[in-house]
Amino acid sequence: MSEVETSPVARTNGVRDVEVRVWADAEQVPLLRSFAADIAMRLDFDLDAIEDLRMAVDEACSLLVRAAAADSALLCWFEPEEHGIRVRVRVDAEHGEPPSGDAMGWQILTALAATVTETVEAVDGGHRVTVELLAVPGPGEVDPR
Amino acid sequence: MSTTPGPAAPEPAEHPAEDEKGGKGTDANVERFRALAELDPDDPKRAALRGDLVADHVDLARNLARKFDRRGDQLEDLVQVATIGLIKAVDRFEADRGNFYAFAIPTIMGELRRHFRDTGWAVRVPRQLKELHVTVAAGRNELSQKLGRAPKPSELADHLGLTKEQVYEALVASAAKQGTSLDARLAEPAGDRFGYEDDRLAEVDNRRALGPLIAELPEREQKIIVLRFFRGLSQADIARRVGVSQMQVSRLLAKTLERLRAALGEDTLAG
Repeated sequence: MSEVETSPVARTNGVRDVEVRVWADAEQVPLLRSFAADIAMRLDFDLDAIEDLRMAVDEACSLLVRAAAADSALLCWFEPEEHGIRVRVRVDAEHGEPPSGDAMGWQILTALAATVTETVEAVDGGHRVTVELLAVPGPGEVDPR
Repeated sequence: MSTTPGPAAPEPAEHPAEDEKGGKGTDANVERFRALAELDPDDPKRAALRGDLVADHVDLARNLARKFDRRGDQLEDLVQVATIGLIKAVDRFEADRGNFYAFAIPTIMGELRRHFRDTGWAVRVPRQLKELHVTVAAGRNELSQKLGRAPKPSELADHLGLTKEQVYEALVASAAKQGTSLDARLAEPAGDRFGYEDDRLAEVDNRRALGPLIAELPEREQKIIVLRFFRGLSQADIARRVGVSQMQVSRLLAKTLERLRAALGEDTLAG
């Protein structure tokens, strides 16, 4: 197995922005979860932080899949930043209920990620619901309070 | 190995060579194995004797299979693997070596171990990768001890003298070690999976009241509660994640629970 040399631009983060689009269906969630874990691994998150991100993405996607309109898409962006990775997940929903309405799911999500925000915008014929979370590479990088 | 089942029939030692093998030198089977070796491979009597010898020792295979059963495989599958080991042992045993059990037990154990090495993975993975997985898992334990936190892939690579790509491969492979059937996932009730509909209706009121109270807790207490009760982590794990001592986690948990109880009113939580 040879290590492929990457361009200097990519090397600062190792990973560039990734955008994934799947059906908003519970069966697709493991795919996004694996994507998240793989990216976190390549960003050199510690192994617990990788698992945390895997679960956070699972939770965020699960919350949104349940809200999603039938036959719609789940969009997911992974954006590496200097101090972690920003993950945005978005669906189109019929109703504009915020994901945080699921108190337990939201608790889990906020426990797993450094920051979590939600937005609900009215769009043509429905709502666009987004969850955005920031995950950090592990306790070495943050003030553990 | 002291698990030789059944007492060996106390038979007079006719063959001095067997006595040298120790206390179990008088294996009642020796004569039959000797007969087996002398019969012509095409002789139907040989096949019958071979079958008898296997059948007479199937309890041994079953006992050994049971030792491995805790890993979650179906016992019957393991008994089959162990029985294949037993057949190999019957075929390869040389009567002059004395004790059949001393030969059969390691042979059967070897067959069971090979079964786990080759098929313990739900997904077929090259042997090299399995070995890498074992190396990385061991390195993870060592480094976790040393660093007091989970290691990063780069640290694992340095520690083990591997490339980062190799560590990545091993990590991805271990995530795939236990596959979950898609059907099994669909069969799970949605409420279970997402943990948000509780069929214990009596608790609904308490839980509803608890939500806002938890939301009011300081961030650290909130995190501890979630890790402890929603994710089921041990206090030690929580201490490591939150960055406080285990004693402190214990105290904070007790204090927080007391506070939540007080806020809900003792009588509400009586049930």
